[in-house]
Amino acid sequence: MASRVINQRRHMGLQQLASFAETGRSFLGPLKASKFIMDVEHHESVLISSTLRLLGSLDLTSAVGQLLNEAVQAQNGTYRTGISTLLFLVGAWSSAVEECLHLGVPTAVIVSVMSEGLDSCIEALVSLQVPIHDISDHMNNTSTAYKETVDVSLCPFVQVPSDTGLVEKKHDFKDPEFQLVATYNLCGKLAKSPKFFKPWVKVETDKNLPHALKNSLHTDTYHRKSALTHSRYFHRTDNSHWVIKPDGFLECGTTSPQTSRCNDLAELAAGLSHGDHSSMTMAEAAVRLQWQNLCLQQASRTMPLVFDISRLLTYCLPGLPETFSCVCLGYITAVPESSFTLIKELQNQPVRVALIEGDLTENYRHLGFNKSTDIKTVLHSGKLPIKSSEELWTNHVLQVLIRFNVNLILVQGNVSEHLTEKCMHSKRLVIGSVNCNALQAFAEAARAVPVTYVTQVNEDCVGSGVSVTFWRSPQDVKDPIDRSNRMAILLKTERINLITAVLTSPVSAQMQTKEDRFWSCAYRLHHALKEKKVFLGGGAIEFLCLSHLQILAEQFLNKGNHVYSGWLPSNSSWLTSSLSIYRPTVLKCLASGWHKYLSAVMCNTASHSSALEASMFIQHHVQNANDSGSPSSYILNEYSKLSSGVFHPDISNNLEWVPRVYDNVIPKIEAWRRALDLVLLVLQTDSEIITGLVHTQMNSKKLNGVLFL
Amino acid sequence: MSRLEAKKPSLCNSEPLTSELVRGTLSVLKGIVVSCYGPAGRLKQLHSGLGGCVCTTSQSSALLRNLSVSHPILKVLTTSVQNHVSCFSDCGLFTAILCCNLIENVQRTGLTPSIVIKLNNYLLSLCTNYLKSDTCGCRLPVDLSSTHIFLCLVHSVLTSKPACMLSKKEIDHISALILKAFLLTIPESTEDHVILGKTIIVPLKGQRVIDSTVLPGLLIEMPEVQLRRLLPVQKSSTLKVALFCVSLSGDFSDCGEGTVIVSSQVSLENAVLDQLLNLGRQLVSDHVDLVLCQKVIHPSFKQFLSAHHIIAIDRVGVTLMEPLSKVTGTTPIGSLGSICPTSYGSVKDLCPARFGSKSFFHLIPNEATVCSLLLCNRNDTAWEELKLTCQTALHVLQFTIKEPWVLLGGGCTETHLAAYIRHRVHNGTEDIVRGGECSQTELRLLAEAFCRALESVATSLEHDGGEILTDMKHGHFWSAPAHPPSVLNWPELLSRCGCGLHNSQEELSWSVLRSTCHPFAPQTCLPQAPVGSASNLTVDCWTAKLSGLRVAVETANLILDLSFVIEDRN
Repeated sequence: MASRVINQRRHMGLQQLASFAETGRSFLGPLKASKFIMDVEHHESVLISSTLRLLGSLDLTSAVGQLLNEAVQAQNGTYRTGISTLLFLVGAWSSAVEECLHLGVPTAVIVSVMSEGLDSCIEALVSLQVPIHDISDHMNNTSTAYKETVDVSLCPFVQVPSDTGLVEKKHDFKDPEFQLVATYNLCGKLAKSPKFFKPWVKVETDKNLPHALKNSLHTDTYHRKSALTHSRYFHRTDNSHWVIKPDGFLECGTTSPQTSRCNDLAELAAGLSHGDHSSMTMAEAAVRLQWQNLCLQQASRTMPLVFDISRLLTYCLPGLPETFSCVCLGYITAVPESSFTLIKELQNQPVRVALIEGDLTENYRHLGFNKSTDIKTVLHSGKLPIKSSEELWTNHVLQVLIRFNVNLILVQGNVSEHLTEKCMHSKRLVIGSVNCNALQAFAEAARAVPVTYVTQVNEDCVGSGVSVTFWRSPQDVKDPIDRSNRMAILLKTERINLITAVLTSPVSAQMQTKEDRFWSCAYRLHHALKEKKVFLGGGAIEFLCLSHLQILAEQFLNKGNHVYSGWLPSNSSWLTSSLSIYRPTVLKCLASGWHKYLSAVMCNTASHSSALEASMFIQHHVQNANDSGSPSSYILNEYSKLSSGVFHPDISNNLEWVPRVYDNVIPKIEAWRRALDLVLLVLQTDSEIITGLVHTQMNSKKLNGVLFL
Repeated sequence: MSRLEAKKPSLCNSEPLTSELVRGTLSVLKGIVVSCYGPAGRLKQLHSGLGGCVCTTSQSSALLRNLSVSHPILKVLTTSVQNHVSCFSDCGLFTAILCCNLIENVQRTGLTPSIVIKLNNYLLSLCTNYLKSDTCGCRLPVDLSSTHIFLCLVHSVLTSKPACMLSKKEIDHISALILKAFLLTIPESTEDHVILGKTIIVPLKGQRVIDSTVLPGLLIEMPEVQLRRLLPVQKSSTLKVALFCVSLSGDFSDCGEGTVIVSSQVSLENAVLDQLLNLGRQLVSDHVDLVLCQKVIHPSFKQFLSAHHIIAIDRVGVTLMEPLSKVTGTTPIGSLGSICPTSYGSVKDLCPARFGSKSFFHLIPNEATVCSLLLCNRNDTAWEELKLTCQTALHVLQFTIKEPWVLLGGGCTETHLAAYIRHRVHNGTEDIVRGGECSQTELRLLAEAFCRALESVATSLEHDGGEILTDMKHGHFWSAPAHPPSVLNWPELLSRCGCGLHNSQEELSWSVLRSTCHPFAPQTCLPQAPVGSASNLTVDCWTAKLSGLRVAVETANLILDLSFVIEDRN
């Protein structure tokens, strides 16, 4: 066993953290640069564009690397967002803490003041929280708006067999329920909310835009509400502020500045898209579709908007243009080409379904069943069995399926190929590797009970009313078979609460990225709707933290020790009294983390050519905010200036048009917390103890500074 | 063909403590434990060097568990500290540091081991007698009717473990939860024999610490999908429970040695399933509402039970079995034969519960002393540390309710005790000298080494180069910045003593702990007023510290007494 002191004059752990974090710098902000990761030995390379994938490809076997990976995985596992922020701040704060150590600040003081400073900032950020209320009311308006486009664009593509009584009866074209059968596609959606997802280039060139908006104000009620927030016709004077009245309309007022509410899903989604408009459009469509579906089921139109993300699945189709992406109600999966005729036959009838939780193979036994090895089977009669045990089992399964008239079997695990073939001959479709949430959705909608073995199937377990159709992208008029000789089918029932997002990308290397981005958008929406609040993003919260910390530091400088009794774990230590000397320094170092963050975002979006220029911009506004007396109201009033300064300097002459950017509240705060926790954990570590190491196992190079026990 | 190899002769080292290597490794170990000590202690990253999980800790239990030491002397030391920690949870680092200090200091005196051991034991008895006596100046009685001291105790345990990464607010929250959990384990009916219940710590990693909570009863984790599928409880009265510790998965793992030969017409699996279904019929006829199984229940058997409106929960796990049997009053059923009606128990209610990303089945007993502490922390490392800390705190509370005293923490007990021993040895003749077993000089020499060792433990609390002072009235621990500008303004420079009982405005005089100060009599009676007030005291568990003191002295004696190390090299 060996122990190595890592806290000599320079802190190795902190330096390691900083260098790990540096690799993720380009993933910060709305414009993410992709990276190629090359494997020199195997001549392989992958294209990545998210921090998570990056860390997956890095060698994180060192102790500090492991801790970093652990923190990132924890953030990802809980929130699925905020990982780039986490990584960047780990780096920024590591260097900041090192700076503190360099200045001779005792470790305990750094730990105490930094966590106290972060707490204080988080409290101050309450003023930048935007509540989300009554989104459901607005959804009704939007749903009517949807119908027009949806009907037209989709009818030709969904393959509704005209000669079946069942489907026709249920999905009359005038029946409102049919709207839900519809597939929302990207094109239709994009046409509907141009003002949120307009590319920035256009904004600059299109001088007629205000007129277009003006027109839309008169024509479309749905557009009006959301458009108001961005309309230059509500241009405010310096001391007047816009607020949204409960009915959703904006009003000019001279009340104290406040973050207005966010009542519109489209606006929320646009704000949370963080530059990835196409993925967010899909995620938003998924939310709408799920909610409308729920409303129809509950027969109420005033349900609060909830988003159950476990009922959202993705289906990736590489090789198709991106415009083919869409969101559908039901379960989309791939089946081999050979099932073509079977599906053709099945799609004309309501199908009865059995759900199997385990594998559908002869040898499968439920988890926890221990197979005994000491059992020998002997034949008594001396006759050899005519059929193999696999054959017997297959026949038995088929008998059960025939008895209960089951035509569709959804299996969570693997399926015996032999059985699949046999089933195909008897017009039964077996689908393996079905997501467990999908299974649950079918269980609820088709009133089926998932079982582990086919032998358990009885009348109560079998669900009914599932429809099986070929699935094609609305734009796709070709054969539904893709290049890998598999074709997509759509399974659904009348009341199914399950949505599949079909993701397409012409470049298959980008498929993974596309899926990651879609999920991160979906999770951002999910968190926002769950928490019922968002932060005003686009740098606003970081700006407020910066100015808050500066004010704090100045307060301590001016008023000395007795303003604020700090907290140290041991309140009797001499460090408590020396807290006031070091506090301004440490708070400045904490602030430098956010400062670097903002300037990195600004450099990444190329809004500022140099870090220095970005830094000047930040400094200028933080100073202004502090001079104004109320930093949060300064940030609210100057929001468009700040946010456009961070992201799009080119439109500085068109400020009123800057849409709001939102951030999730708890995921963001937790990312900060985790980042700081990790840095402080590493900071407080003074040695690394490697267990199970023998003298001879280490080469002399590594032996430097290692002590043996 | 076999080959005989001559045995290597054993290696014999005399006077192991004089060897440079042993001294070197001992000082490395001391360096590790000293740097971990106290709220400002530095953390250690323990890992295998091959990737895999990293344990960041400053607790003796986690540290020593993973340390593999080579030399037998170090093994003696770590093993006895580990034994102490396994019994008392707290004061492990104290024990290790004191033991190392004693070995080091005593060696410098140059006294023979026999006299050292005699004197050490004598000094130990002086300490323990003093700590047990009513005149003890560093012991506080615990008022069982108020939570103040209990909260201080839990608070002290939590703050001394920086790797938990808790903020002040979080420490307050967790302290309150631990105390609440502890109170839930105390039975309501007071008979002669009070048996404390159990707190089960349920992990909920990745969530915020503030989301931690305490619930009476038990939480059984299960997947969300399974939870949704469970039947709603139909009865309003108590539910009849059967608890199985045998696997109901329908396998036949217990065939013993040898091979079982089965005819091809017989299906063993079906036979076992039939047996299970027979069992199920008995459960139905006995009107059981809830079947709990430590292991797996066969899916078909589950289906049978749910068809008869019996809720079946499997994979409860071995850790929950004892508390489950306790809260429900069941006897775990270990066979598939017929069930004795007395084995059944009951629960008041059960309901689904969701916390964070996990879902649980919440079992609410009629009356029981078992509760669940849902513990959250942001990452795995910090969670493991927090879990250990909570277990320590709960354990320490149990000791304190048994022996209702606490010792002043923050180094005050050590400095006070040292002052007491020094004063006692210098003023008046001790029995041991009167008995002629040693001379007064020898006693004074060793007492000085002993007191220095105690004081060094207190000094180990300082990690940032500060100065440690002691006051000449109470003998408490005071912390000051290094190189204080002038001696005159000490009352301004200092704030409170280590335990928080005294403040610097009480007209005290101080001396630097390292300097040779003349012995003084520390005040023995405690001021009553500040103890009861809301002041935040740092206190230590009396039982654990007393044992730690004993273990440290006895281990040091054992190590000092070693004259040969004989190593078998075969």
